[in-house]
Amino acid sequence: MDQLLQTLLNGLLLGGFYGVMVLGFSVIWGVMGVINLAHGEFMMIGAYLAWGLFHALGLDPFLSLALILPLMFGVGYLLQHHLINRLVDRPHLMVLLVSFGVSVALANLVKILFTSDPRNVPVAYNGSVELLGLTLPIVKSIIFALAIAIMLGLHLYLQRSRQGKAIRAAAQNRMAARIVGIDINRVYALTAGICIALTAAAGAMLSPTQAIFPFMGPPFTLKALTITTLGGLGRIPGALVGGVVLGITETMVARFVPGIGTNLGVATSFILLVLILVVRPQGLLNGLRPIDAEAG
Amino acid sequence: MKRLGISVLLCAWGLLLTACLAPPTPVDSAPAGTERAGRNADAERIITIGAAVSETGRFSREGRDTRQGYLTWLDWVNDEYGGIEVDGERYRVELLMYDDEGDPDTASKLVEQLINQDQVDFLLGPYSSSLTQGTSAIAEKYNKIMVEGNGSAETLFERGFQNLFAVLTPAGNYTQSALEMLAARGAETVAIAYEDTAFPTNVAQGAERWAAAYGLEVLGVETYPREVADVSGIMSKFKELDPDIFVGGGHFNDAILFIRAAKELDFNPKAMVITVGPSNPKLITEMGADAEYVLGPTQWEASMSYADEYFGTAADYAARYEDKWGEPPTYQAAESTATALALHLAIEAAGALDTDSVREGLRSLDVVTFYGPINFDDTGKNASKPMGAIQIQDGEILVVAPERAAVAELRYPAPAWKDR
Repeated sequence: MDQLLQTLLNGLLLGGFYGVMVLGFSVIWGVMGVINLAHGEFMMIGAYLAWGLFHALGLDPFLSLALILPLMFGVGYLLQHHLINRLVDRPHLMVLLVSFGVSVALANLVKILFTSDPRNVPVAYNGSVELLGLTLPIVKSIIFALAIAIMLGLHLYLQRSRQGKAIRAAAQNRMAARIVGIDINRVYALTAGICIALTAAAGAMLSPTQAIFPFMGPPFTLKALTITTLGGLGRIPGALVGGVVLGITETMVARFVPGIGTNLGVATSFILLVLILVVRPQGLLNGLRPIDAEAG
Repeated sequence: MKRLGISVLLCAWGLLLTACLAPPTPVDSAPAGTERAGRNADAERIITIGAAVSETGRFSREGRDTRQGYLTWLDWVNDEYGGIEVDGERYRVELLMYDDEGDPDTASKLVEQLINQDQVDFLLGPYSSSLTQGTSAIAEKYNKIMVEGNGSAETLFERGFQNLFAVLTPAGNYTQSALEMLAARGAETVAIAYEDTAFPTNVAQGAERWAAAYGLEVLGVETYPREVADVSGIMSKFKELDPDIFVGGGHFNDAILFIRAAKELDFNPKAMVITVGPSNPKLITEMGADAEYVLGPTQWEASMSYADEYFGTAADYAARYEDKWGEPPTYQAAESTATALALHLAIEAAGALDTDSVREGLRSLDVVTFYGPINFDDTGKNASKPMGAIQIQDGEILVVAPERAAVAELRYPAPAWKDR
């Protein structure tokens, strides 16, 4: 029983991280219909920023979010404003190619700047505490709490604020949004800014828990694709549900299948992806747009 | 019909991943103007050697060590030694290296290109057993000699190949000296986790074999895929098994994952034996005190007492390397230099450049180098070199086994995470 609870807890913590990790990817896809293949690389950059700030200024990776969020918001805003906005109306493959190009360029740029040595942020409090007979990893619990706070904040922003409503309007019907006077390019740049900032923040939060290296991005991009499909495009609760479903599935399989469990956990996420695409292409919760516009 | 859209896009991405990165550029070679025809002319005789070595991708770190190891030999042989002597004539060496991106298919393609287009005379190995697997098959197909120092999986040498030679101790023996020593200090149980690729699999199988030989009970064995991002499933399972020894077989990143997960989950084995990571000083820089007490197998350390007439002692080699690259050599770098040196010595012994003569030269080679003894058995493995074990103690990598190479006493058992 304890084992089951502990595994569920580990899965939940992993799921919370997956949820916040996928937000940026999911919202960009949901609002603009753009699959950002450089998603993992923006996480990687966030992780390197946290690493750099930790080693240069001794700044805690969670405190450094206060610097990383505005900085990466600016990067995302400018990238969208000057590059991606020119391409959004073109065929899908164009944006896909450009984001792929950005991902390769970023990974190799970081490799040139920092070499390919794996890095890590050794925060002092990366141990665990015992709580009701369960082992609670401290760093992962902080990540989980922050993830929930960020998701709640973004959800409220999208649902309640004027800008959030403009973003959702642009997602639902660009033409109509334009007719009622919404500046689509600005809304898109704003969306990209928020999303890139959150993605980099996820990377920064990840930096104390695992190795950081220039080519760490692609597996996260793939995982983001699975979770977004699972949860529904651009929906914050969907990202959380998708993340938690995947997190718990992976840890359960890893814990209770002997020998090859961890292997199977990774395979399971892609089996889920295929099943969802076939059975429920709009995701577990309805997204801002269906993956396939004609499937409803 | 748009239903196909997503899958088409994804396929396109997959294709791009493999195709877009493909156009290879030589990483290093003789000056750009070197004429290939020149090697037949009397003016300058050149031996061309080729290798696919990771510059990017999952092995970019170890690949860099490999490349720097090869280049250390290259500069030495051309600038100091005066070129390889074949039948009284001195030959300069040109080394062509391409980035294989850590991908077995790319590596094989590049080796085929090295043989067919670049027409290299000999091949040096890539980094890692999984890349050596395919590339050595290509070398065998075209009857080219490949000497390697970074593929230690035993399966590589069970294929009856005639042209593959490896200077390093085979993977199955990696954990031998560590397990022997830990068993002698009272450890009774062991749990093993390994990445399901050639090299870690062989390390793990060897660990099981040696555990049985030294009377250790194996409580659990787990595998994980390459590019794994989370090993907490494995570690929480092992926490309940509570083994005395944890053996982790993987590459550099995995060492960070294992140590992080063990601390987070409060999993306290009395000793952690992890391949590849601990023998690299970078692990200490990145992980600080958490890397303490971790044990690792090592092919070579600068403190070992080997020496030769080419690079001097192991310490001399380390000094030369650090002078050149601004960082101390890892064992991957040293074994790469030794790889090229073995080929060099075999060519000189053969006194000819054809594959058959050099193969004979390699088979009859029996030398002690700064890296250790090199003496290939019938399958091409270096049968004579023992494996060492290191432990991270007070931020230093110190050899603790075998006894005659040890510079420090093993610290066992490691204290629990909470008591450090």
